This record gives sequence, C-alpha cells and structure tokens, in this order.
Amino acid sequence: MGKYLLRRILQMIPVVIGTTLLIYALVFALPGDPVAAMFGDKPVNAAVAAQIRSEYNLDKPFIIQYLIFLKNALTLDFGNTFAGQPVIAVIGRAFPVTIKLAIMAFVFEAVFGVVFGIISGLKKGKWYDSVILIVSLLLISVPTFVTGFVLQYFLGVKWGLLPVTAGSNPGFIDLLMPASVLGSVSMAYIIRLTRTEVSSNISEDYVRTARAKGMSNKSVTLRHVLRNSMIPVVTYLGADIGALMGGAMITERIFNINGIGNTLYQGIIRGEGTLVVSIVTILVLVFVVCNLVVDMFYAVLDPRIRYV
Amino acid sequence: MQKSSKLTVVVAALSAAVMSLSACGGSSDTASTDTSTSGNTDQVMSVYGCEPANPLIPTNTNEVCGGNPIDLLFAKLVAYDDKGKTENEVAKEIKASDENKKFTITLNDGWKFTDGTAVTAESFTKAWSYGANVSNAQLSSSFFQNIVGFSDLQKKGVDKNAQLSGLKVVDDKTFTVDLTSPSSVFPTSLGYSAFAPLPDSFFKDPKAFGEKPVGNGPYKFESWTHNDSIKLVKNDDYKGVAPAHNGGITFKMYTDTEPAYADVQAGNLDALETVPASASQTFTTDSSVQAYNKAGSVFQSFSFPATLKHFELGTKEGTLRRQAVSMAINRKQLVDKVLGGIGTPAVDFISPVIPGYSDSLKGNGVLKYNKDEAKKLWAEADEISKWTDSDKLTFAYNTDGGAKPVYDAIVNQVKNTLGINVATNPIPTFSEFRNSITARTMKSAFRTGWQADYPSAENYLSPLYSSAAADGKGSNDGDYKNSEFDALLTKAATASDEDTANESYHAAEELLLRDLPSVPLYYSNAAGVAAKGVKGFKMNWKNLPVYQELTK
Repeated sequence: MGKYLLRRILQMIPVVIGTTLLIYALVFALPGDPVAAMFGDKPVNAAVAAQIRSEYNLDKPFIIQYLIFLKNALTLDFGNTFAGQPVIAVIGRAFPVTIKLAIMAFVFEAVFGVVFGIISGLKKGKWYDSVILIVSLLLISVPTFVTGFVLQYFLGVKWGLLPVTAGSNPGFIDLLMPASVLGSVSMAYIIRLTRTEVSSNISEDYVRTARAKGMSNKSVTLRHVLRNSMIPVVTYLGADIGALMGGAMITERIFNINGIGNTLYQGIIRGEGTLVVSIVTILVLVFVVCNLVVDMFYAVLDPRIRYV
Repeated sequence: MQKSSKLTVVVAALSAAVMSLSACGGSSDTASTDTSTSGNTDQVMSVYGCEPANPLIPTNTNEVCGGNPIDLLFAKLVAYDDKGKTENEVAKEIKASDENKKFTITLNDGWKFTDGTAVTAESFTKAWSYGANVSNAQLSSSFFQNIVGFSDLQKKGVDKNAQLSGLKVVDDKTFTVDLTSPSSVFPTSLGYSAFAPLPDSFFKDPKAFGEKPVGNGPYKFESWTHNDSIKLVKNDDYKGVAPAHNGGITFKMYTDTEPAYADVQAGNLDALETVPASASQTFTTDSSVQAYNKAGSVFQSFSFPATLKHFELGTKEGTLRRQAVSMAINRKQLVDKVLGGIGTPAVDFISPVIPGYSDSLKGNGVLKYNKDEAKKLWAEADEISKWTDSDKLTFAYNTDGGAKPVYDAIVNQVKNTLGINVATNPIPTFSEFRNSITARTMKSAFRTGWQADYPSAENYLSPLYSSAAADGKGSNDGDYKNSEFDALLTKAATASDEDTANESYHAAEELLLRDLPSVPLYYSNAAGVAAKGVKGFKMNWKNLPVYQELTK
C-alpha cells in the first residue's frame, strides 16, 4: 500500500511538468501580442512596449521563459500579473471561493444524485421513478448556461428569493443557486448511474442468496446492493471534483463569482501566460490527487481490490 | 417509513455541511443592497465596474475599468461638461502664444490633494514627465509626444527622474509648455486623465500609490478590493465644477455585463453604462429598469487596407469601389434591426455629441443607402479593372466584441446590392485582430472603432487619418496620406478659436468623404440602465453616467 502510494506520488512529477510545458507552449502560441493589446486602439509606443516585454521576460525565447517560470515556481514565486499583482495572491483570493462553490455543488450532486438514484432503482416503474428519469433527462439535455439564466431570472430577479449574483466573498445563501446549477448536470448523471447499478445488482445471485439466508431487506439493500453499486458512482464523483473546480467558468460568469474560472478567463483574454499556467498547474494537481483518492476508495468499497 | 427517515438523516448532514460553509463565507450578503430615502446626498451609489488591467496611475491607465475611477479621483486643468464643452477647472488661465506652440498655464488657488498637500505647478510637470519617461513604461506615454523633450525621454536606460525639457515651472502656480508642433486643441486635451496632477507621495512609491491613489477630484479613494470593488467617497474639500451630489461611488466589479444587468433589474446595482446583447432589444421597454438611449461619442466604421486589391487607396477604381460599398449599406436598417436601436447612422467622421459635428458636409450622400448609385459606381470601376467571379471581398472583425451580427448584416447588404462574392472574416480575439492590422498583413476590410479621449473634432481626425499617424506610427490603420488633408489639420491647429478650427476640420472631413480611407457606419449610442428609484441618471459625452449626479 505505502509503496503503491509512493509510486503514484512520484508519477505526479512528470505529469505536472508535462502539462505545464504543454500549457505554457499553448499560451505562448496564442496568436496576438498581449503587450500590444495593452495599448488597445491607441498607438503602441515601441520603446514602452520593449520596456514592458523585458520586465515580464516576454522578449526571451519560449524555452527560457518556461525555465524561468519553472525555477521561480519551485520557490512558490509565480511572478506578477500585468496589473502588478502577485499571481499567488490572485489565486489565493480566487481559490477559496471556487472551493466553496465546488464543495457545495459536490454535496448537492452526491446527496441528491445518490438518493434519487436509489429511490428510482429500488422502485423501478413506479410513477416517481418516471418523474425522476424525466427530470434528469431534462437536466442533461439543457446546457448549464440556460439553467443558470432561467433560475437567475425567476428565483433572483422576478421573485427575489435568492441573491442574483454572488460577488467576490460569497456566503452560503449567495452560492446556493450557482452551486445547484453547477451540480445539476452531474446530479442527473449520478441519478442515472446509481439507478442502473442498483437495479442490476438487486437481481444478482448474491442478493438472492443473502435473502435466502434470511437477512432483512434493509441490510441486504444497504450492505450488499448499495456497497456494490457505489464503485462507478465514486469514480464519477472523484473525477467530477476536478471538473467542478476547473469547469465552473460558465457558472462563475453568469453569477459573477470571482473564482478560478473567472480569473482563468481573464488571464486567457489578457494573454497572461504565468497566471494561466499557474492556475492550470493547480487544477492538474487537484485532478491527480482526486484520482488517487478515488483509487484508494475502491479498496474500502470492495475488499477484493488490493494495491501492490 | 424507512425511506423517509433515511432522507431526514441526509438532510441533516447536508445542513451541517452548509453551516460550516456559511461560517467561513463571512457576512457578504449585507453589502449588496441599499434601501433608503430618495435623493439622499449621503447615499453611496453602486455602479458597474470591472477589475482594472493596471495599477490606478493616471498615465498608465488606458482602459475603462481603471479609467472610470481615476477620472473621478483626479481634477485636471480643464473639465468637460456633459455636452463635451471644455471649461477651466484647476487652471485659472491657459494662454496660448507663438501660434499655439507655447502655452502659459496659471493655476487656481486653494486646490489640495486629499492627503492635504497643495496642488502646484510641479504636481503637473513632474507627473507628465513621469508619464513620458520610457523607463517608467507608462501606457499613455504617447499623450505627451508633442511636448518638447519627449524624444529625449524615449532612449533606453534614461534616468527614471529625467524631466521633459519643454515644461518649465515659473512659480508655484505657473508653468509653461513648449510644443513641438502647433496645437489649438492642446488646452482641450488637458482634461484627459493622463494629464492629471500627482502628489509628492506618488514619486516616493508609485507602486503603493497604484493600489491606493491620492487625488484632488470630486471623490476620495477609500479602498480597492481586487476583483470585488473600488470604493470612493465624497471629497468635501473639492471646489471644482462637478461636485458630488451623493455620498460616494462604489464600483462593483463584474466580468460580464449580463449579471450586472440582472443586478440592476433586481435593484442590487444602481447604474450600468452598457446594455448586454441579450437585453439590447428589450431594455427600453423593460419595466424593471430605467433606460437611457441617446446618440453617443463612439464612432464605428470599417477601413480598407491601403493596398487591398481593387480597393487601392487613391486610385480611381479603388475610390469608386469604396464609395459603391458604402452606398450599398443601409445604415438605418442596420441600426434598427441589428442593433435594436442602440446606434445612430453616421453622417460624418466625428459624432453628434462632440463640438464640430456636422450633418451637412458636402458629399455625405456617400454615406446614404443608394442601391442604384452603388451599382452604377461598381460598374464604372469594372470598366477600369474587372471584378471577376473569383474575387472576394471580406470583412474582418474580432469575435470577442459582439460585432458578429453587424458584420453578418453588412455582408448580406453588400452582397444583395452589388451581387458580388462577400464574406466575413472573423478573428477570435481583439489582440490577434489588432496584431494583423498593425503588421499590415490584413487582407480584408476590417472593423475600426474610435472612442475619443477628449471632446474635440481633432481627436477623431488627426490620430486616424493624418500622414503622421500612418505606416504604423499611430492609429491610421488605412495608411491614408493626403497632404491637403494634413494642411487643413495644421491650419486648424494654429487657428485662434474653435469655430475657425472647425471650419478647417469640416473641409478636411469632406476630403475623407471623397477618398473614404474608412467608411463610417454608425455612432454607438450612450445606452445604459439604472435601477428603479435612482435619480439623476444621464450619460455624458463619453457614454458614461454622470456619476456625481446619481442619487436615490
């Protein structure tokens, strides 16, 4: 187990270096000159532009720029944004907000997804099974920005039930609507996944055997059916944490949440290589760690799985 | 029964998670709404804002996110009223001599920065020199290029504290400015934020100042929470021409205008100076907001590269084809149907809200939709050099600025009128778009727009069409070079009063109407919304709310 963990952690090093290099190259290859763009429609003063380029090392070749970035990143110095803000401070402000949003969305989708999925799977064919199926189908087929705008208009603007936008330091109430929107699609998938798993496991031989041995319906469902049904669901949830953090761009824009998604968007628009790469690096780490945790979870759910 | 009990457990767990989350969320939900009696002069008004791209330093800010707060924080030598008329503010007198090549500026007494220090002649000369000096890498440095000594400050490695030699301090309240070339518009341009005075504390630590600026304007800086808000409060010591009627202005930051519009609808935001595309057709009839929609100062056009095949600048064929394309466009229809009425069809090269505008220029018929004439001119051009079936006219625009529907419509109009092969050439980002224009690699007609920095015909004409700004030296992207036009601009620059100057500008515009280096389309309206119950919501010549007059 320990050996396995160590190996997995060591594997993260090439993954991180590879992704940062790739992202750095992509940002570098973006057409357009961020320094010229800073002048907007106004004439570019070449002398000033040169000064700014040398300040941000933009006049150096790509690989040198990348090595400088890597060297500084090792000492946790990610440089400054064009606005003169330390990148680390910008991320430090945005990340807690995104984490809050992602946790709320995660809890929302995990709880409601699993609960409705189980209800549906156990009582297949009942009227509420059909309702749950139809609603989940609807959520999957409608893009989040539509769900977002519609909820924002009715719940926020029209009826005034929830805050319309969240701002930079949002509380629980502010994030209630954005988190439900963000988690809604995944929730629908989890409902369907859980439902399929539960309904197929319930007719398995081992369930029939357990029943024949005289176990109560409750413990059969909880200890056998559910436990075995959770493996694919946990896999999906684990991968989704990363997606919730990095993929909140649309939701964050609709509800004006100043989290990672919005910051990343601004970084891309302004061509701020270091900001984009730093954020992506952190997201990569989140993904890698989540995957590791999910793999660990398998053993808990299914004792047959061993790590060597 | 079993099931329901399970659900209760789940709900309890969820609300426990929720509690801990809200605990770390702090108390932000109180900040968003303000309800109070109407017209309260202590009321802090919340307005749309966005995260500045640069520190809040006047000479280093050239975009609206930082520009709007800066404009309220600093009083300049002159100020513009809502109509774009210039009046003295910090300046008592600006006296021109030597045919508008030398200006003597005297300051009014009693002006103070909010840190208590006096506004002196040096507050201006040192600030301008700082802005012009290349070692300080200020984005607005080009505003000082007409001041004597500018080129000396452009050399690599020049001392950070080196001053412009054309600025001479006579005494505490007087200084003189020597210009390289005459400029009658110089006093007007002094109201642009790059010409703001700076206190001594700035030069000691520009970096700290950029986070916490100290000015002399109608508002005093209170705080800047990045990506959240910039808070300004009323400056009680301000004695200028546009005092605040409210207690302060809070710029609430957004990355998109859609949520800001929703916040105005819900009453959480007092004013928004633009209208998101999704609401452009409905905002004037939306009962949950107050709408404002009048002709504005942003000039929208498209330009042809000087050497674009069949459209070459200055050739008979090129001119005929440029005119034909211009007459093939139905501007009225474009504005009404595509823009939902938030534009006004162009009849000149300036804007209806700027002094010097004229709707009766000779030759402005070329900006009117005329199907038959367009076809005739196109056919005439065909006799000089045939437009074949393989030729294609394309229109380039940046897709990140909402220009797509406009250019789709233009393409259809030109195609239907002239019956030729026309298409759009969408370019993903503004930066990439500007890059290929600056590098002169653009092989399409391309979108050009201009927002004036100060309300003057000069600011619409010389940066865009003078020979001095061509070939990458300025914003003359179509490389228009016409000595007759330049001579008229010079004549206007040496004119003794504004009316004489405007006569020359009109003559210059008539040349543009003939040659069409760029084709005027429409003036973007000053369109915005305010929440119900907000008073004094109107917009100025810059298409911005008159922040000082907002109350509720």
